[in-house]
Amino acid sequence: MDKTIALMTVLTILIVLPTIQLVFAATDAHEYINRRVEIWNLFFKMMTIAFTVGAVVSGTLIWLVWRFRESHPNAKPTKYEGTEW
Amino acid sequence: MSGHSNWPEWIYVAVVICLLVYVGAEAWNVERLVEHTPAEAEVIKVTGQQWFWTFEHADGTKEIGELHLKKGKPYKFDITAKDVNHAFNIHDYVILQDAIVGRINTAWFVPDKAGEYTIQCREYCGLLHYNMRGILIVEE
Repeated sequence: MDKTIALMTVLTILIVLPTIQLVFAATDAHEYINRRVEIWNLFFKMMTIAFTVGAVVSGTLIWLVWRFRESHPNAKPTKYEGTEW
Repeated sequence: MSGHSNWPEWIYVAVVICLLVYVGAEAWNVERLVEHTPAEAEVIKVTGQQWFWTFEHADGTKEIGELHLKKGKPYKFDITAKDVNHAFNIHDYVILQDAIVGRINTAWFVPDKAGEYTIQCREYCGLLHYNMRGILIVEE
């Protein structure tokens, strides 16, 4: 039950609300888009995504290099490196 | 690969795919909105030449270096060039379109605030390119 409610909430936020907004926006006569707003909004959204992806990817790589260095306390030899450590 | 779970990789792949789909959908939607010219937009022929802009309204009125428009009304620019390539730019309204010889490019917008705005050529077009400017005058 809880899962269903959570799923419905997520679906509502992601799909239903934007759809309703789009449908009502279309019936608004003589409401022109503001080119400046649309283009800058797109730019800010894309920059947010680009920086988030950049942070996640570089963060993952930094963590990988840090965690799997030979000198890490929990490092274990792989079969390619032999069993003598 | 035994004794090894690879679900984090699949989550990673799924997140990347979702982000790419979102980026594509969002950009496509905004481009669709920006490109969709309203049917009632007044067409203004814009011609660039070394080193000034000429504007021709739908009723045949011509203006040189100045463009008078009404606030809240949609306008569509048919942009071309006479001699070399130029680019038509109204910085404050995020209009930037190449003016190409023998070709008509279009852009549309609705001025939402009365005032004076700079029109500037954004494609290097010769000696006086820097001074190939015009004024957009938006009236109430």
